[in-house]
Amino acid sequence: MTQTLPDTSKWPFQSVLVANRGEIAVRVLRTVQKLGLKGIVVYHAADRGTAAVKMADQAIEITGSTPVASYLDGAQIIAAAKASGAGAIHPGYGFLSENKGFCAAVEAAGIRFIGPTPEQIDLMGDKVRARNFVEKAGFPVAPSAIEDDDPQTFVERSRKVGAPLLIKPSAGGGGKGMRIVRDLAILEQEIERGRSEGQRYFGDGRLYCERYIENPRHIEVQVLGDGQGSVVHVFERECSVQRRFQKIVEETPSPALDAALREKICETAAGIARSLNYRNAGTVEFIFGQGGEFYFLEMNTRLQVEHPVTEEITGIDLVLQQLRVAAGEKLGYGQADVKSSGHSIEFRIYAEDAARGYTPTTGPILVLHPPQGEGVRWDSGVLQGGEVTSAFDPMIAKLIIRGKDRTEAIARADKALRETVLLGCKTNTAFLRRLLQHPAFVAGDVHTGFLDANPQIAAEPEMPAETLQALLGAAALSTRPMRDVADAVPDMHAAMGGWRN
Amino acid sequence: MHHAFKLGDNEHNLELSRSASAYRLHLGEQVVDVDLKTGADGRAWLTLGERHIEVVIATRGDDVFVHLDGEAYQLRYQHPLDRLAAQAGGSAEDNIRAPMPGSIVAVQVKAGDTVTKGQTLLVMESMKMETTIAAPRDGTVAAVTYEKGQTFDRDALLLSLEPNK
Amino acid sequence: MKRIESKLNTASAGFQANAAHNRKLAEEFKEKQRAVRHDRPQRDIDRLRQQNKLLVRERIKLLLDPGTPFLEFSSLAANEAYDGEVPGAACVTGIGIVSGREVVINAGDASVKGGAWYPLTVKKTVRALDIAIENRLPVVHLCDSAGGFLPLQADLFADKYMAGRIFRNQCMLSKMGIQQVSVVLGHCTAGGAYVPGLSDYNVIVRGTGAIFLAGPPLVKAATGEEVSVDDLGGCDMHTSVSGTADYPASSEEEAIAIARDIVAQFKRPQKAHTEWQAPEEPHYDPSELYGVLPQDIKQGFDMHEIIARIVDGSRFHEYQPNYGKTLICGYAHIWGYKVGILANNGVLFNDSSLKGAHFIELCNQARTPIVFLQNITGFMVGKEYERRGITKDGAKMIMAVSNCEVPKFTVMCHGSFGAGNYGMSGRAFDSRFTFSWPQSQISVMGAEQAANTLADVKIRQLARTGKKLSQEEIDAIRDPVLGEFKRKQSAYWSTSEIWDDGIIDPADTRNALGISLSAALNTPIGEPRYGVFRM
Repeated sequence: MTQTLPDTSKWPFQSVLVANRGEIAVRVLRTVQKLGLKGIVVYHAADRGTAAVKMADQAIEITGSTPVASYLDGAQIIAAAKASGAGAIHPGYGFLSENKGFCAAVEAAGIRFIGPTPEQIDLMGDKVRARNFVEKAGFPVAPSAIEDDDPQTFVERSRKVGAPLLIKPSAGGGGKGMRIVRDLAILEQEIERGRSEGQRYFGDGRLYCERYIENPRHIEVQVLGDGQGSVVHVFERECSVQRRFQKIVEETPSPALDAALREKICETAAGIARSLNYRNAGTVEFIFGQGGEFYFLEMNTRLQVEHPVTEEITGIDLVLQQLRVAAGEKLGYGQADVKSSGHSIEFRIYAEDAARGYTPTTGPILVLHPPQGEGVRWDSGVLQGGEVTSAFDPMIAKLIIRGKDRTEAIARADKALRETVLLGCKTNTAFLRRLLQHPAFVAGDVHTGFLDANPQIAAEPEMPAETLQALLGAAALSTRPMRDVADAVPDMHAAMGGWRN
Repeated sequence: MHHAFKLGDNEHNLELSRSASAYRLHLGEQVVDVDLKTGADGRAWLTLGERHIEVVIATRGDDVFVHLDGEAYQLRYQHPLDRLAAQAGGSAEDNIRAPMPGSIVAVQVKAGDTVTKGQTLLVMESMKMETTIAAPRDGTVAAVTYEKGQTFDRDALLLSLEPNK
Repeated sequence: MKRIESKLNTASAGFQANAAHNRKLAEEFKEKQRAVRHDRPQRDIDRLRQQNKLLVRERIKLLLDPGTPFLEFSSLAANEAYDGEVPGAACVTGIGIVSGREVVINAGDASVKGGAWYPLTVKKTVRALDIAIENRLPVVHLCDSAGGFLPLQADLFADKYMAGRIFRNQCMLSKMGIQQVSVVLGHCTAGGAYVPGLSDYNVIVRGTGAIFLAGPPLVKAATGEEVSVDDLGGCDMHTSVSGTADYPASSEEEAIAIARDIVAQFKRPQKAHTEWQAPEEPHYDPSELYGVLPQDIKQGFDMHEIIARIVDGSRFHEYQPNYGKTLICGYAHIWGYKVGILANNGVLFNDSSLKGAHFIELCNQARTPIVFLQNITGFMVGKEYERRGITKDGAKMIMAVSNCEVPKFTVMCHGSFGAGNYGMSGRAFDSRFTFSWPQSQISVMGAEQAANTLADVKIRQLARTGKKLSQEEIDAIRDPVLGEFKRKQSAYWSTSEIWDDGIIDPADTRNALGISLSAALNTPIGEPRYGVFRM
């Protein structure tokens, strides 16, 4: 879909304050400024000198007991918006992006909130209410049976959930007393054992059970709604590669879906959004079983970290769409107008040590050479000369790759990761290269437990002797005390080397 | 082999000498001709025997960061006088360093306190997890570097004990 | 400066036979060195290891800058003395590079008799300190000695050039502003205590290093006081109480690292200005020297071929090529340093002596260091030559050599007999450095002549009493003399007695001279001035 830039002169706001930091603040400002709107950003002192602050038309310092607290201080941000005359606030992701109170306060202050309505945030923010809403609207949620609903029929209802299923103590936690049942013939005996374990651990034998999805995938669908009756989906994203329950590689299209299944899951997501009369960009997340079954997990009523892959295959600027609907425009196109081509993968570049359990690292960004080339996009909020601190999430940048197909995208990604130079702070680029070279990833055969099941990918590989030699050579020649010792030797003696008589 | 670099958990001894035209790297009994031609923005050409390798190098204090063959590495220089003095002191145990970046949740001792092995000295938080730092041996606290609430980087000196006599 | 045109056919049988012979001699020499350096009774090595001590060569390796040369002096000193039981005279000396500075290293070898000082140990040490004085080189002392070897005390204590000279030399160095570091790695007792005592900087190793005039047993015997080594003269006492030592170290490695850092603080000397140009490898391979040297000491060879395999680019400016041809004189570069070379190409006649004296004066006037390449059977003898004044012409050369202001370097290439040794700057003539090739020989006259002379004297004595000796009786007189002479004129005897600064493999000559030249230029070169030349 080719996009012509809208005429913003009639828009109810002519300036947008970004209530966020880092790469997403940069990303939002880019579109805001492209539209000829004034881009304002708030920042904590820890972010002074970052890319967002430098590129913004106006930057307003905010304070707080911690850097994070300042970005969570809605009142202060609204005050900053008022002071700067901002007509709208874009919350980015995280921080206040899904905070109903903030959304309402923004609107109450006469400022447009670039996002959904407070009610939509509220509904989707409550897992149980969201699940019930989706189920009632006729969309698939994971089958389950709760003993308390009707203890007499619990076994029967559990059997209906179907194998494999998971029995959990109602009062439980921490995995204690959980039993996976793959054969329904032993369901009753497992229920009894689960009950006695629950009794023993928690003094409470009540149970519930739900469908157990083995090695599930995480597939989500991007949706766009204008709150005026139009909703489209912008295809799915596969986000199954996760570490510590956080996505690390996202791609679209999902290698797990054929055309029919893609249509089905995307339409399901669009249907859910439609039933909400959703306004804003949003993401409907599904848990996806190896058998092709999928169930609603949750809906995120904001821009996602991984939104660029969708932009790359569709040519749609999702931030622009957010701004348009917030300004009261209609989508103005239908599902048939949304087309995709090629393949896109996003890699999250983290300041972390994969081999040490993905623990965060900190340090200065002494050198930063982002990768370049065909199909390479680098979304980042840090600059050379900046610093990665423990104050915020350790994500440094997102590397987004586009190729005509998945194979080309993987090849381009490997090259781009290889050419990504970031010195001063350990990052996961080498780990990401090992990951994308793994046969299972190449085959698209991954699930959310993939990295846990393959810890060798995270482990530091043994260093070849010649690599070590090169590193020590480079380091020695870059270290003054070592160079000084060598340089102090007179020419003749240096030329003689270690001669002995 | 007075000089050393720490790479990961390993310490590598090495020496550098000058040859008629460039330098030589001494690793144990192995000697390799090396040279480094530095260009702009950290980019450099490393010559290693017959090999020519493009690298990017940055330094900060005793840290040398090298981007080599698509990967970034960090090496920390160990000055011979520091390294040998520390070896002789016999204990890395005297200096308690941060296992990861984080912040101090609680400080339970102060300089001059006598502590016993296993006693809690500090509680730190990193990645939303609290970690207890315990005394590695019996001794006396020489200095506590951080106060409650302060943040630190990995390998930061958190607390030191008086050297063992 | 044109290249010397070698006239040798390196493929010839004669050259190949020489090469095989001399290469074998060089290998035998290297094997002797290896044994002297490394063969020790296991118990001695075990003892040092138990004390956490490094061996002397490990210490030196740590001390030297990596990948830099070490010119070791007199590696085979004392090798023919004390029944061969004191290899290297129980110490290692030489010139090396520490923190970029040329220094003399004086290291006791505790794996030999606990590093006890034998008479030749003292001689070797004094010589090393003489080298430091003559060439203004800082000294690093690696002290680990049990003290003087008492059974031979009469041969090492009292005389002018004996043990006291070590300390006198240290004081001279200090007075000249040349700095010294002592690293106390073992006990420095009695006289040995003055080595650190007279140094500018001292590093001492905790636990193993100690400095005292008398050790605990002697203290107890003398005064009844009972005291531990550490309390009497250990690391912490000396660095915190007495101030006799300056830097405490907890290991030998640390002590040596500190010493390196100390040397790094030394001011670099201003070198004497002489001609220099970028060095060039010899055009002719120095390893061909083996094929140039004959197998018999009496056989002659062309010294041009030797020069061609030592000097830069094999280039040589020959002075007076057609006059006094038994002494080659001329200019060349060694490792870039301009030198004047005097090389024997036969007996010294009147003309060659005069040519030599004249050339030495030229070198002095131009501040050009001189290299003497000895292969000399002496000055010519006989009625005619005496009438022409061979004695006074030789005296002129000796006068010129003795009064040389430029540094001199002598290589005993082959023979060195009679007064020719003097004319060619033998040991007594204060060459800064003197090296010998393995097959070289030195004596007042050739062994055969000497044996025959002694036999003749005996025969004439007996003839006066009317006795006539049979050939067997003559042989019985002659052969032991011949044997003794041969033993004592060999380079191995010379070097054992420290009449030189060590035997070197001929192929190493260029480097040995390069290091020597560089060191020598630390001392300013004075105005030339001579005594009276007998005209």
